[in-house]
This record gives sequence, structure tokens and C-alpha cells, in this order.
Amino acid sequence: MIKAHKIYKSFQSGAVQVLKGVSLEIADGDFAVILGASGSGKSTLMSVLSGLERPDSGTVVFGNQDITAMNDKQLTEFRRDKVGFIFQQYYLLSHLSVENNVKLGADLAGNKNFREIIEQVGLKGKFKSKPSELSGGEQQRVCIARALAKNPEILFLDEPTGALDEKTGREVLDYISRLKSERGFTMIMVTHNENIAQMANTVIRMNSGEITEVYKNNSPKTAFEIGW
Amino acid sequence: MVVSLKDSIKLLGIIVISFCAVFVCTFFLNFYLDALEIENLVTEQTRAMYEAQLATAEFTCAISGSVLAAIAIVMLVFYIKLYIDSHLKQIGILKAIGYSNGKIAARFWVFGIGVFIGATLGFASGYAAMPMIYKSLLIDGLPQIEIGFHLVLPLVLIVAPTAVFSAISCGYAYFALRRPVSSMLRGQVRFKPEKQKSKTATKNKEHSFLFVMCFKTLGGKKSLAFFVAFACFSYSAMVQMGCSMKRLSTGFMGIMILIIGVVLAVVSLFMALTSLIKANAKNIAIMRAFGYKMKECALAMLFCYVPFALIGFSIGTVYQFVLLSLMVNIVYKDVASVPDYSFSVPVFFITLASFLILYTAAMAIYTYKMSKISVKEVMAEN
Ligand SMILES: Nc1ncnc2c1ncn2[C@@H]1O[C@H](COP(=O)(O)OP(=O)(O)OP(=O)(O)O)[C@@H](O)[C@H]1O
Ligand SMILES: [Mg+2]
Repeated sequence: MIKAHKIYKSFQSGAVQVLKGVSLEIADGDFAVILGASGSGKSTLMSVLSGLERPDSGTVVFGNQDITAMNDKQLTEFRRDKVGFIFQQYYLLSHLSVENNVKLGADLAGNKNFREIIEQVGLKGKFKSKPSELSGGEQQRVCIARALAKNPEILFLDEPTGALDEKTGREVLDYISRLKSERGFTMIMVTHNENIAQMANTVIRMNSGEITEVYKNNSPKTAFEIGW
Repeated sequence: MVVSLKDSIKLLGIIVISFCAVFVCTFFLNFYLDALEIENLVTEQTRAMYEAQLATAEFTCAISGSVLAAIAIVMLVFYIKLYIDSHLKQIGILKAIGYSNGKIAARFWVFGIGVFIGATLGFASGYAAMPMIYKSLLIDGLPQIEIGFHLVLPLVLIVAPTAVFSAISCGYAYFALRRPVSSMLRGQVRFKPEKQKSKTATKNKEHSFLFVMCFKTLGGKKSLAFFVAFACFSYSAMVQMGCSMKRLSTGFMGIMILIIGVVLAVVSLFMALTSLIKANAKNIAIMRAFGYKMKECALAMLFCYVPFALIGFSIGTVYQFVLLSLMVNIVYKDVASVPDYSFSVPVFFITLASFLILYTAAMAIYTYKMSKISVKEVMAEN
């Protein structure tokens, strides 16, 4: 369970208030989607929840660990053991092959079967390719493989389908949600796409740094059932 | 504007190296030219010392001038490559909207300005230091040599290097820009296809990610290994030489060599490591986001350069020994007042110890710098 309590976060020493007292709860194994307009603070909230950044005030409790009280070393360990990321801009290591990019995640979990994951995301013949030799969708799939190879307890996704066309987008979402039901990790996804919210158990809507709506979805759809 | 003046001034390494080279060459060449004018006053007793000093001046200018110029050229080319690699998209856009390679490359002349600044400062400092140098080179039985001004020196030491370095910058940039626009826009750094290694060789052993990262970081930035080695070389060679010179001849020259050595070493190491961290900021940020510890990131980035540091240090030790032996046994062989030279073991160990301390400190500082990279900020840059 992730519990955020009254999170405040500003930039430029208080000049830009981005999060204004955000509180939320996400249960273990949940699939939560955060919806909101551009600039509403979704990415900032995600980096606070995942221990990439500290809030100005407020707490984030993960299970029974208060990650806002951790020092840098403990936070690093927390991310190492629990968290996986899929970023909108890929952030692959450009001088390393697909295989080695995925190894970045796999090594942290001692995962030797990471090549299977690369095959499962549909990059079978691309083990030795460099990111610049791949299409946008293929690069995003490398990111997904890298995050999953780490066996995270909780997976953060920032606009994972932003750069993908409909067909690839659906396939990627389907693959991630199938893996989620197999392994039972928690998923928190940021998106602009209202349709994707229909796949989630919990939908959180944000507007200029505040949560305006939270609702449960009792009959989530699959990636091929939603509109696009 | 592709390249700004600021980019040129950021080439601190080139400024410092041109400063050192021109500084040394200014007073030695000036001394050489002035000394030629009193040749008719040289007597039997003073001839050996007089000729040895002229030879030293020639020798030092030739060695420091050529070595430092070569280093500066390598550094310049490296920087331009780094600059182009890190501005691929912007330059790609310029090319896409119709700027020719030549037009873009011509802008790179500003990289010569760093040389101009360093050379001018070096020339001025060389002149300022001249009274002291001339005094320390004073020979018993000969009159004090007057300091003269030779117009040829600023031409050779300031104007020519600036022109040559600007030309090299444009030429290299032109060469480096000749690649497909599409690959530049995609941020494809390497444009030659990599040689595929035989499948069996790669299948055999599974290396850990940190090992691969270490190895590939080194492979992608070979020139940095060169600068690290050069930094350690100049520290080792010049500190040991400075100490030995102090015993052999004048203290002033020894201290000067020592200072130049330390400055060159610190600047090249600083440059190499700063550009390493800059070029890898995003990679480090991602490793940190995934939960790699600071120590592991530092290991992957910095550890592979240790062998090069040690190689540089060893070569520097041998180099200064050979150079001093040659000086004492050949150039100063007829001068009675110069004592014999032998390799000093205590100086070696003191240099080694101080070197290890400095190197470890540099590693610690850069590990700390890496820990200050804000993961979110690096990622927000895109
Ligand atoms: N490091 C920073 N310094 C200053 N302002 C920042 C910083 N990071 C974010 N902001 C500001 O905070 C606000 C929210 O940013 P955030 O990235 O969280 O938005 P978002 O909801 O993810 O938007 P998008 O959907 O466009 O990705 C923006 O107005 C942005 O300008
Ligand atoms: Mg965002």
C-alpha cells in the first residue's frame, strides 16, 4: 500500500507551487491511472511517490516505510529493491545495445532470464541493436523490458504510450497488464489518454496540483476493448 | 549561431596548455635571441656554460612547444567532436533547413580564440618573468644579458598558433559534419556501422552490467583515457624533474617546472573528468533512478581510467629520468659546476604518494559531483 499524505512540492524556492497538498492511497496490486492536463503536476507527483524527489512537506509511506524520512542511501536502496520506471522519453543508454540496456535493470534483481523478456516485448532479432537504430515504439519496448527485468514491486509509467501508434500502443499496454496479473505488482500510470483509464482499477484526476476526483472502476477493460 | 564565444572560452584546458607552452617558449626564445648578441664577449672559460645554456633554451622550447602543441591539438579535436556529438540535433536542424557543411564549419573558427587568450597571457607572463629568469641564468664572467624585444616572437607565438588552431577547428568540424542529416536528427552518435564480432566470442561469457558499462564508457571516450594519462604523465615527470632540477641547478627553474607540472595535471584531469561526467549525466541519472548506488556509478564511470593513470605516471618517471640524464651527460657535460645526476628514489616515492592522494581526492570529488546530479532535472531537459 502506498499512502501519500498532504504532499507539497514547489520549484525555484517556492515561486512555482506544483503540488498543493496531495493525499492518496493506492492498494497493493492495484492498477492506478493518474489523469490530468499538461502541467498539472502528474510527473512531479510520480517522482515524489517513487522516491526520485523529496516533497517540501508531507509524507509518502510505502508499506510501513516512510520514504520521505529516508536518507539518500536508504532511498537508493528503496528504489533498487522495489521500484521500476518507464519514462515517456525512453532514457535509454545510447552507447549500449538493447541487451545491455535491459541488463541495467536485470542485474539489480539478479535476473538471468532477461533475454526472454526482450523476446516477449517483440524485439527478438534486436539484441545487439543500438537505441538509435530502433523506431520510437521499439525504444519504448526496450524501456519496458528494462523496467520489468528488475522484477519491481511497483511500476511507475509516465505516458508509456505517448509515442506509439494505436496498434503498438495497444499491444504494449496489453503486454504490461498481462504481466501485471501474472506477477501481481502495483502499477501507477500517468496519461493524457482518457480511454486508458478504463483499464485501471483506480482513477485519479489531477488539476493544477490538486486531486479533484478519485474513483474505483469495478470492471476494467482490456487494452483491445478500450477506445483510442 | 552554432558555436558561441562562450564555448571557446570553456576550453580551459586549451587556454592553460597554450599559456604554459607560450610562457616557456617566450622567455627561452627571447633569452636565446638576446644571448646571441653577446657571443663576441664569450671567453674560453665561459664558452661551455654559454653553449650549454643556448642548447637548453633550444631543447626546452622544442620539447615543450611540440609536446604541448600536440596535446592541445588532440584536446581541440576531442572537444569539437564532443561539441558536435552533444549538439547533434541542433546542427542536424541547421543542415535540414539548408545550411551547408562549409557554412556551419566556418563558425568553428572561434575555437581558436582559446589559444589566442592562452598565448597572449602566456606571452605577457613570460615577459614579466624574464628579469628573474635572466638573473638565474647569469653566467659568472659574462655581463648581464639585456632584455630585448623581438617582434618575431609575438608573430610566431600568438598570431601563428591562433590561425593554425582556428584552421584546424574549421577543418575538423567540416570533416565531422559530413554525415547524414537523418542520423544527426535521431541523435546517432556513431555513424560508422560497428564491426560485428564473431558470435561465439560474445556468447561465451556473461558480463555484469557494471562491467559492460565501464568498458563501453571507456570505449566511447578513448580520448579521455589519453588526457587522464597525460595528466598523470605531466604530474609525474614535472614534479620529479622540478625536484631534481632544484638540486642540479637553480631553484627558480625547478619551482617553475614543478608549478607548470601540477597546473597541467590538475587542468587536464579536471577537463577529462568533467567532460566524462557531463557526457554521462543522463546515464548516471538513469542508473541512480533504478537504484544503483553512488559507489557503483563511480566505479562504472571512473574505475576504467585507473590503469591509464598508472601508465601515464610510469612513462612520466622514465621520461624525466632519460631527459635529465641526457641534459647532464650531453648538454652540460663540459660544465664543471653541474653535479652528476642519478635517479632519486625518495623523490619518486614522495611524488607517487602525493599523486595517489591527489588522484584519490579527484575521484572522491567527482563521485560527489555525480551524487549532485538531480535525476529529475536531467530527465526534464529533453
Ligand atoms: N524542476 C522544475 N523547476 C521548475 N518548475 C518545474 C520543475 N519541474 C516541473 N516544474 C513545473 O511544474 C509544473 C508541473 O510539471 P509536471 O512535469 O509535473 O507536469 P505534468 O502534469 O507531468 O505535465 P505533462 O503532462 O505535460 O507531462 C509545470 O508547470 C512545470 O513547469
Ligand atoms: Mg509529465
